[in-house]
Amino acid sequence: MQQFDNASAGDIVLSIADRIIENRAYLSEIDGKIGDGDHGVNMAKGFGMAAERIRGNDMSLATAFDTLGTVLMTEIGGSMGPLYGVMFTQFAETIEKSSSIDARTFSAMLTSGLDGIQAIGSAKVGDKTLLDTLVPAIEAFDGANADGKPFPEALDALVVAAEKGRDGTKDLVARIGRASRLGERSLGVLDAGATSCALILKALALGAKEKLQQSATASD
Amino acid sequence: MTVKTSSARKNGTVRTGPEAGAEPIPLRYGDDPYVWACWLYYEDHMTQGDIAEIMGISRATVNSYLADARARGIVNISLEPSRLSSLSIAQELKRHFGLHDCLVVPSDDNARPLIDRLGTAAAQALTKLLKSGDTVAVAWGRTVLAIGEQASVPGLQDVTVVQATGGTRASFAYTPELCAAAIANAVNGKLINITAPAIVSNAEVRDILLREPLIESQFAALSKANKALFGIASLRPNSTIHTSGFFESVSVQQYLAKDAVGVLAGRFIDGRGSPVAGPLDDRTIGISLDMLRSIGLRIAVAGGFDKVPAILAALRGGYVNVLITDAATGRGILNADGVTELDQKLSQRPKIDSSVALPSNFRTHIKKFLNDPDDVVEEMLDGVVKAHGAYIQPIKGSHRALVARTGPRPGKVGLVIGGGTGHEPCFLGYVGKGLADAVAVGNIFSSPPPGPIFQCARAASGGQGVLFVYGNYAGDVMNFEMAAEMAAENDIEVRTVVTTDDIASSPLEDREGRRGVAGNFFMFKIAGAACDRGLSLDACEAATRKANSRTFTMGVALEPCSLPQTRRHNFEIGPDDIEIGMGIHGERGVIREKMMSADEITDRVMDRIFSEMKPASGDRVAVLINSFGATPLMELYILFRRVEQRLSAKDIKIEANWVGHYCTSLDMVGASISILHLDNELTELLHHPCDTAVLRVG
Repeated sequence: MQQFDNASAGDIVLSIADRIIENRAYLSEIDGKIGDGDHGVNMAKGFGMAAERIRGNDMSLATAFDTLGTVLMTEIGGSMGPLYGVMFTQFAETIEKSSSIDARTFSAMLTSGLDGIQAIGSAKVGDKTLLDTLVPAIEAFDGANADGKPFPEALDALVVAAEKGRDGTKDLVARIGRASRLGERSLGVLDAGATSCALILKALALGAKEKLQQSATASD
Repeated sequence: MTVKTSSARKNGTVRTGPEAGAEPIPLRYGDDPYVWACWLYYEDHMTQGDIAEIMGISRATVNSYLADARARGIVNISLEPSRLSSLSIAQELKRHFGLHDCLVVPSDDNARPLIDRLGTAAAQALTKLLKSGDTVAVAWGRTVLAIGEQASVPGLQDVTVVQATGGTRASFAYTPELCAAAIANAVNGKLINITAPAIVSNAEVRDILLREPLIESQFAALSKANKALFGIASLRPNSTIHTSGFFESVSVQQYLAKDAVGVLAGRFIDGRGSPVAGPLDDRTIGISLDMLRSIGLRIAVAGGFDKVPAILAALRGGYVNVLITDAATGRGILNADGVTELDQKLSQRPKIDSSVALPSNFRTHIKKFLNDPDDVVEEMLDGVVKAHGAYIQPIKGSHRALVARTGPRPGKVGLVIGGGTGHEPCFLGYVGKGLADAVAVGNIFSSPPPGPIFQCARAASGGQGVLFVYGNYAGDVMNFEMAAEMAAENDIEVRTVVTTDDIASSPLEDREGRRGVAGNFFMFKIAGAACDRGLSLDACEAATRKANSRTFTMGVALEPCSLPQTRRHNFEIGPDDIEIGMGIHGERGVIREKMMSADEITDRVMDRIFSEMKPASGDRVAVLINSFGATPLMELYILFRRVEQRLSAKDIKIEANWVGHYCTSLDMVGASISILHLDNELTELLHHPCDTAVLRVG
């Protein structure tokens, strides 16, 4: 069974934060086309604050997610604060009792994050939001597992689907949030939330793959 | 006595001699008889016969001169751009989807609600589309009812109108029965109702009903329909589908979960136009999608951005072959289906050559007074707290939650406002005696998180409850709701009024979906006065709701704003363009127009405001002319001047007015006009004293 250790995987969250901080200007630029251009800045601020609390504290993945979720939920505001906040908090709750994380736990974690977002937001797939990245990514991951693919390959499928979903938001009309007031003028532009979600999922998948490799080597 | 000679030829040879009756070519036309002919025809409005006489040439020659003048570009005949645009969109929709016909109404006429405009257009179209002897299946919907109310097709005989679905209880105005009756009345036709419920409790009941001879005969009539008239409903949260009572919402959720995007005559379809199966299918009595598609002429009337996916799905599914919509929606449908040439075609209007080299002083960054861009909000708040320390102080040392020095007191309802920064003096300038008790401050254009909002609620609470008043944005709603839950856990009763004064942001039908903009100023003032007078939480909430429902704002942007972090414009406005319907976050507006005079802009805004406000002679209002940040007072007063003229022409009294920077959008160039339609209660509350950093009354 391919799995990795929860207790030593908190640094995955640091690498997620690093990707968001690196892409701060890019995310703001995308957001500026149909939103107000603050997505990168606010995301970077929240992920940066969380990273400071996580760094050097040798956290489990569950605790690191909880730290990130709490910071986003309570200190960032905007719409992304609550939405990502609830996603990471749900991630944390789902895995906190698992000492190691296999593909099934990973899937349950993603799904409960999605449930959390859908509980507080009213968006659906196709509304040009982060769901257009998250939903197909989870479907691809679950599909690969159902096909009997190894955990790392399922993670690859997740990343491919996430990026495809993100790119697909170009062809969508925004139907929720501020950009929805632009109607069809939101066409042809990526959604900033879908883009940041793809960055998060990719960093998460790469981090998990690395952990899987380490635990495989360790058990050799 | 004129000699009609054939000797004058197309090549421009003309008699210059003093022929009998013919005048010599006047000097101003040079040697060009084409220009002369054109002048006489287009400017002097003479007939071709008279022109022939004056020029001493044949009428046929005049005719050919005029034709050639167009070919040579001496005369240009142009269609008014918005009409040209709707014609082009209609043509492209017809071509792209292989429609029998298509009618597109211009989008920029906002004097009337879209549904009325579509209704009028469709009503006129019916006079061409319907013929004597037709059987027309009519579905239900607001748009269909609007058509029925406006249509009058005289001279038709033997038209039968059949209700396309069963009936519903009359909890809304556009029931299937009423829609069919309105159309029948308009075409002087025979009405056949389906005398069964549209949705019954189970499949057995449906089967039993369908076997009833009476209902069977009604369905037989429906199956003879050669034309169908229907609207297209979206499944967006604000769609009437959810509120009409036609479907139980639980069932709608099940269809939504299967990716349904639209509803035609009570049937659900997905994005490709395929039927979506669900729990209502065999409980529905009415036309099926297959039956609908087999009808010869299928006229759909629908418009609005939110309906783009639903209309596109109906087109893809082949349920529509005559579409009546508006230009913005039509363009949205084409874009969503990958047609992009249209935009290029429409943008080929005369414009400034963009290939010219940029001047050497061209800049991509906007200059701003900044230290570290990441510190702008903190540094601003530091300045605010020091500048306005007489009015506000930090709660527990945090600049993100500020409380009025003389605000909260026992027995008084507390007023908490808040939102993102970048709108200064919103929101912190409205904290003080007689106005808000506390303000929660977010990042630029971004809602504060729940923590500071809750701190504000606690600080503002005087034991009689707390009122939250903030603009309608997804982020603010989520964060303020979380804060309200936290307050409830701490035994503080919270009521909320979400402001929705921006009339450009959503049609009247979706009043609750509108965003809150500069009209916040009035809502804060009224709420603050109600609280300061010691009214109950109920009364404070009611007064604020009333103010919100009677405040109308519309903004116009001339140039975009730029964010401190990027120091770039966060969207572009062409050199000759303005954006009407601009919000306060630098979101692009809803309509882009060519630049026009201050009075014309004001009139566009005021016409729209009057159409919703419906003022009567002698009414009183409060006026707010608000700069988006970079528009100077000089121009605001020019706007105010015209607003005052329009109001006084209607004999409306300005009870109070404010002109200046009251709710900005960083450095955007532009302004908004807000009108509060007063009554006695609101007038009293408006004049109630208050004392804050930017607003003092009494």
